[in-house]
Amino acid sequence: MDKDKVKQIVLDIIAEIAPDEDLNDVKSDVRLRDQLDLDSMDFLDIVMELRKQHGIDVPEPEYRELESLDSCANYLLPKFEAGAAA
Amino acid sequence: MGSVSLPRPSLSLSKSINSQVSSTEVAIIGAGLAGLAAAVRLAMFGKKVILLEKHYVVGGLNSFYARKGRKFDVGLHALTNYPSPTSGKASPLLKLCRQLRLSIDNLKLLPQSHSRITFGEQSLRFNNDFQYFLGQVEEVFPSSMNAFLKLLKKMEDFPAYSVHAEELSTRSILRDSGIDPLLGEMLLCPTCYYGSARPDDIDFPTFIMLFDAIFKQGLSRPEDGIRAILNPLTEKLKEFGVDRRMNSAVRSIRTKGDKAKEIILESGETIKVEKIISTCGIRETESLLQESCIEPDEAQTGQFSIIESIRVFKGHPKDLSWDETVVFFNRSNRFVYDCPKGLVDLESGVICLPDNYGTNHQVEESKLRVTHPANFHKWSELSEAQYLKEKNYWEKTMLDNALSYLPDGLEQRDQLHQRTELLDTFTPKTIKRFTSHINGTLYGSPTKKRDGSTKYKNLYLAGTDQGYVGIVGAMLGGIAVANNQILRAG
Repeated sequence: MDKDKVKQIVLDIIAEIAPDEDLNDVKSDVRLRDQLDLDSMDFLDIVMELRKQHGIDVPEPEYRELESLDSCANYLLPKFEAGAAA
Repeated sequence: MGSVSLPRPSLSLSKSINSQVSSTEVAIIGAGLAGLAAAVRLAMFGKKVILLEKHYVVGGLNSFYARKGRKFDVGLHALTNYPSPTSGKASPLLKLCRQLRLSIDNLKLLPQSHSRITFGEQSLRFNNDFQYFLGQVEEVFPSSMNAFLKLLKKMEDFPAYSVHAEELSTRSILRDSGIDPLLGEMLLCPTCYYGSARPDDIDFPTFIMLFDAIFKQGLSRPEDGIRAILNPLTEKLKEFGVDRRMNSAVRSIRTKGDKAKEIILESGETIKVEKIISTCGIRETESLLQESCIEPDEAQTGQFSIIESIRVFKGHPKDLSWDETVVFFNRSNRFVYDCPKGLVDLESGVICLPDNYGTNHQVEESKLRVTHPANFHKWSELSEAQYLKEKNYWEKTMLDNALSYLPDGLEQRDQLHQRTELLDTFTPKTIKRFTSHINGTLYGSPTKKRDGSTKYKNLYLAGTDQGYVGIVGAMLGGIAVANNQILRAG
């Protein structure tokens, strides 16, 4: 698992939640909200799908860690690694 | 003594049914649109859900029935919030499709042709392009235009979609806005009919939501009617393993301290619950609890109900030069939206020609639907014979009265009668049967609870008495309660 894989996992989830969004040019360092039409309901779904598909828990105060692909990668990578090690 | 051991299946069986106990994470009362949407959201993320419905079909107010081989929708005049090219991604309809993983394309939405509000001699037309409506207001009420634009700005700035929105009186805001009083009345008519539980008024946040839904976004209808929404939802329930129980009326909800503990069904079965979402209404939930569910007082009881008659006729409305989809009408300049003193109030009403959604005019037969306010108690007091007699009388009276609001309607009366294949009517009693709402109300109690919370920690309200109305509102309400009260909590 590396940061690029984590970003791809998040992008795959977004594609599932918002099939009408164009995800070809999503910039890693820009807030997802600023480049895609995503609202708080969609972010809840990213959290719910991470739990459902990968067993990763994101507590509500930490939802903001998911604001860009870079911050997702930084925040989620240790969680994926901890999950793989367990 | 020769004893024969007889099996006693009936006794043991009935005993096991009546004392059966099951348990679930979430029980949802009511399989209307709010209950269905909440069930899909919760089950999608692994919650164990039991969905309880008293009736034998899903949909609640937005259900369907068949007569003589024809399919009828109960509630659906229009699906609001049409995502038109001008309203685009702002439509909440797109949000709810995302949340439920439904494809908007599968709904096969047919946009309205155009519609009209008529008060006496004055008319305002609208379609799914808001600029056209603004032009109409400017043409008919030129001296009100500045005040109207200020009102629109005030509506945009008001936090209508927040759960904390203040439920101000729209009538008093319109009065103070400086627009022509007639324009105010004409704006109240469609918004009240599509979602007000308050007598002769509508709370301001609901007014704004409906104004956006009807005028800024617009009206459409799925090609297959309400089934186009209900069928994919019930398929998802199956896919996600929701335990859906039809013909399963709830007798009571047992509580202990500030928590709901068990649901007792009419069959006698007990369901132990961790959480309950009740979509049957705030007063109806109070009657299951046998006490109030909000502080400090009991909720108010709603009174507004309707009667609707449907004429099925040969050909297409265009054959009679009727090209409008919905007509909201009022005889005078003052709109009264209230429970009438008599059986039916003919002063105002709504006409819908559902075959004027979309552009297919090659149909064998079409429908004309006419809706008026009606008094539930008056209809309930009638004996069966009187009920049928009154129903027949009002059916004819309403359908003929509506003709005076359609182009050359009265002149074409005989022609329409000759084309008629079938008449059908549903009354406030029918609405009661489909929704179990006290008084057969269309929009429930005037008391709303937007965030769904009650004085019980694990009992939430969703649907009509959450205050998000219409098909789109009910579903988004169910989704919001599932998300904010249950999924976020883990």
